[in-house]
Amino acid sequence: MKRVGERQEALAGYAFIAVPMVLFLVLNIGTTLYAFFISLWDWNIRRGPEEFLGLQNFERILSDPIFQSAIRNSIYYTAIWVPLTMAIGLFLAVVVNQKIRGRTFFRAAFYFPAIASSAAITVLWIFLLQPDGLFNEIRGALGLNPLFQAIGYGPNHNWFGDYRTAMNSVIILNAWTTSGTFMLFYLASLQSISNDVYEAAAIDGAGPWDAFWKVTFPLLKPGHFFVATVGVIGGLQLFDQALIAGSSNGDPNNSLMTIVLYLYNAAFVQLNFGYAAAVGVVLFLVIFTATLIQRRLFGDTQPA
Amino acid sequence: MRNAPPPPSQPPREPGTDLPAAIVRTAAGGGSELAVAASLPAAARVEPDVGPVGDGTRGLRRTIAYALMIGYALLMFVPFAWTIITSFKTRPDSLNLEFIPDPLTFAGWQFAIENLEPSIVTLFTNSAVIAAAVTITNLVLGSIGGYAFARLRFPGREILFLVVLATLMIPDQLRLVPVYVLFNSLGLTRDVGQYISVILVLAISATSIFLLRQYFLSIPKDLEEAARIDGAGFFTTFYRVMLPLATPALAAVTILQFQGTWNAFFWPVILLRDQDHYTLPLGLLFFREAGGFSTNWPPLMAVVVIATIPIFTLYIFFQRYFVEGVAASGVKG
Repeated sequence: MKRVGERQEALAGYAFIAVPMVLFLVLNIGTTLYAFFISLWDWNIRRGPEEFLGLQNFERILSDPIFQSAIRNSIYYTAIWVPLTMAIGLFLAVVVNQKIRGRTFFRAAFYFPAIASSAAITVLWIFLLQPDGLFNEIRGALGLNPLFQAIGYGPNHNWFGDYRTAMNSVIILNAWTTSGTFMLFYLASLQSISNDVYEAAAIDGAGPWDAFWKVTFPLLKPGHFFVATVGVIGGLQLFDQALIAGSSNGDPNNSLMTIVLYLYNAAFVQLNFGYAAAVGVVLFLVIFTATLIQRRLFGDTQPA
Repeated sequence: MRNAPPPPSQPPREPGTDLPAAIVRTAAGGGSELAVAASLPAAARVEPDVGPVGDGTRGLRRTIAYALMIGYALLMFVPFAWTIITSFKTRPDSLNLEFIPDPLTFAGWQFAIENLEPSIVTLFTNSAVIAAAVTITNLVLGSIGGYAFARLRFPGREILFLVVLATLMIPDQLRLVPVYVLFNSLGLTRDVGQYISVILVLAISATSIFLLRQYFLSIPKDLEEAARIDGAGFFTTFYRVMLPLATPALAAVTILQFQGTWNAFFWPVILLRDQDHYTLPLGLLFFREAGGFSTNWPPLMAVVVIATIPIFTLYIFFQRYFVEGVAASGVKG
């Protein structure tokens, strides 16, 4: 009797997971394996595999100067954007975490830009940052132009149009969009710190500044690790903003060329699918390595 | 405070639910897709009420905190406000530093609604249909899958669940070429097939399964057992008893998937090749490219507003699910 019930339950279980599992196995697992396979071929979109190349695609990728600038740009973006957004997010979380009136509103306000689409945000920022856009107008009206002149940017600087400032503009844009998300991650982490710790610190005579740096900051280590991991992986996948602001070439002067944009370009501009698949494999390895390094650096996050 | 949630990246209690490594396909670079995958149960709803213990300088600190918060909130809102203002300006006025359009005109909106090609109605409809379809598939497949992984015992359950979670570690971009090749060989990169391919590739996310599974795990077994004793089959028990209890998690999945798909850029840009199949984000890319850097701004800003308003409306009414959903994603180990 019991055995029959168990069998029925198992059959019901398989029936329930059948459709989602088939989709995962085909569209996620299957395609991943297929990607490694395609990366070894000269692959034509209509005719399929044309010639077996072994690792030649990879050799060509690594020796292509445009790919080298793509990987430099992606790493530069990640190296600046992640810590910057973490700092802003942490700061906002600490401020919003205080017992003050209206904190729910402010929390919602800070997260607000993250609800809009990357395309809408990027188009909006292109408008704000164009030579006679709001940003340049406001800094002029505030009398900040001499300051910008001193570091080499004229009153009508084209922020996305100049290769020296295009990627930095994307960094600021995405810090603005994502600071609220990082704030929410940090808020979740802050809530795990017991009030007792602060009371003990206060009894020891620690001011708010000391309490933050000596108590809160180190206790947030698991939070830092989580936010940094999510950030680095997302940063290395930078694509939407680069394509919208810099088209598929990552203009100007490849300054917005990222690893994913390079992949997109290989697949849909050059129609070189085998090569594009190989770029995907390289990206996967880069992300995998970055995650492993982070795990080594702060991965032993047993809660204190 | 009640039930402090465990910190992020605490050692996982469930096999393979190591979120920090797993929930990796965030927004970050894209800035749009949420990194959310977590149960929303009680733990997530704990209000943050921990603050450093006050001291004599509390009043001053409070003033500084308010000044900073108001300043940063303005920084968040001004660009959007500027978008709306610009959409009501005339083309020559669009670059002037005026906060009240003078003259105020609907010409930009009229142009956006009547003159764009592909039309805004097409873009909006495509976005709505795809987002609705993906939300429904995630609700249906996520709840049956999540329920089975939470409650039904069958050989291989743990390993299959690990496979589901492992998919979160695969970057979408690695799958770009094989997914395109696969859909192309099935004829799904032409005509209506384009919609089907986007819906299929987004049909079920591990996030939905994970979130619903965690929620089902948190529901006591009594009701379910009572239903089984009354002779209800597995599906009836799931559908009549368990599913209604999971409403909060279903609401969270709805919000996350609808918002994520409405804003989606990567898969649509790969799989939607014809202009009349574009969604709003692709329309924005297309209009931007068509116009270059000196473009007709008021209608473009009107499109930005149109692309943002549905999600903005959802945010106003269901803010809790957005904010707590994201916060919870950092929580559950």
